[in-house]
Amino acid sequence: MAAKSGKQKNLTKEEELLLQDFSRNVSTKSSALFYGNALIVSAIPIWLFWRIHQMDLYQSGIIFVVGTIVSTYLVSFAYKNVKFVLKHKVAQKREEAVSREMMKKLADDKKMNKKEKDERILWKKNEVADYEATTFAIFYNNALYLVLLIIASFYVLRNFNPNINYIFSVGTACGLLALFSTSTK
Amino acid sequence: MATNGWIIFVITLFAPLLVAGDTCLSPSVKSKYYITTEAAASVDTVFIVEFQLTCKNGLKNLNLYADINGKFLPVTITDDSKSQYQVSYSDENKNLPAGNYDVRFYDEEGYSILRKAQRSGETNDSIKPLFTIALNHPGVWKGPVVQSEFIAAVVAILVWYVAYSAKSQLQSDK
Repeated sequence: MAAKSGKQKNLTKEEELLLQDFSRNVSTKSSALFYGNALIVSAIPIWLFWRIHQMDLYQSGIIFVVGTIVSTYLVSFAYKNVKFVLKHKVAQKREEAVSREMMKKLADDKKMNKKEKDERILWKKNEVADYEATTFAIFYNNALYLVLLIIASFYVLRNFNPNINYIFSVGTACGLLALFSTSTK
Repeated sequence: MATNGWIIFVITLFAPLLVAGDTCLSPSVKSKYYITTEAAASVDTVFIVEFQLTCKNGLKNLNLYADINGKFLPVTITDDSKSQYQVSYSDENKNLPAGNYDVRFYDEEGYSILRKAQRSGETNDSIKPLFTIALNHPGVWKGPVVQSEFIAAVVAILVWYVAYSAKSQLQSDK
């Protein structure tokens, strides 16, 4: 945000919030959440291929590390895209409820003027939508990733040797995940 | 003459024991057996019967023959000192369905009578085996009906379906 608003200092707080609301960028907190989750979900295939497909953990270490890093990047990319798409929808859906609740909360506060109240509502709306979209994007993408991974590794590539199976099933899972996340429907 | 009669009496008393020297009297058997129970890693079902035979007249290392499922097999002596024997039999899984199998054991004498009866086309049911060991074959396990990866896939698809329907509900305009 700082880089964007750096040129024009005269942006109001409301405009900044609006910008944040519509930007594709994510805050540091949800970025950390995204990368952390993506790393965990990308590391799950290691267990699968180590224990079930009998791959050696050290011998195939390089493949595992590279696969996990690539997968982490693509999964977090998918998280961001899905979150961006969902955030507006969530904001629209929760708008009424959030503003009603905030109005109730702020009703007693006589000192606060209309503009400030609206600002508070907007801020709260943004927060609620951001949180819900973030967590839902993580859930949805994890579920889809695991479906793709299980089907690819157990059914599509079951007769290949484990190394090839790992590379292609993780590649397919995160590749398709990233691809699906770019659709807006 | 009296001594002669005494000798004859002694001979007639002990002679049967000498004749019966190669027949095991009142055999007692301690047996254990192994039967293949799963078909995932095996094509054939194998019966292995191992037993320890004790005869009242102290006979050891007998030549025995086993009748398993209508086939005659020689029994191997695995331990001379303990009078341990072993016999094994194998056939395709489908030829050995689950059920009870009686393994009949014959000594050489019984076996020759049996062969003679078979040659002359008689049934061998009338010839009493030395002893029998009953085997209970529970049948081979052909692996689970549903593979575990199938269950994993179904659960994963269900979870994804729930996620997908929640997502479409969120994205719908209503």
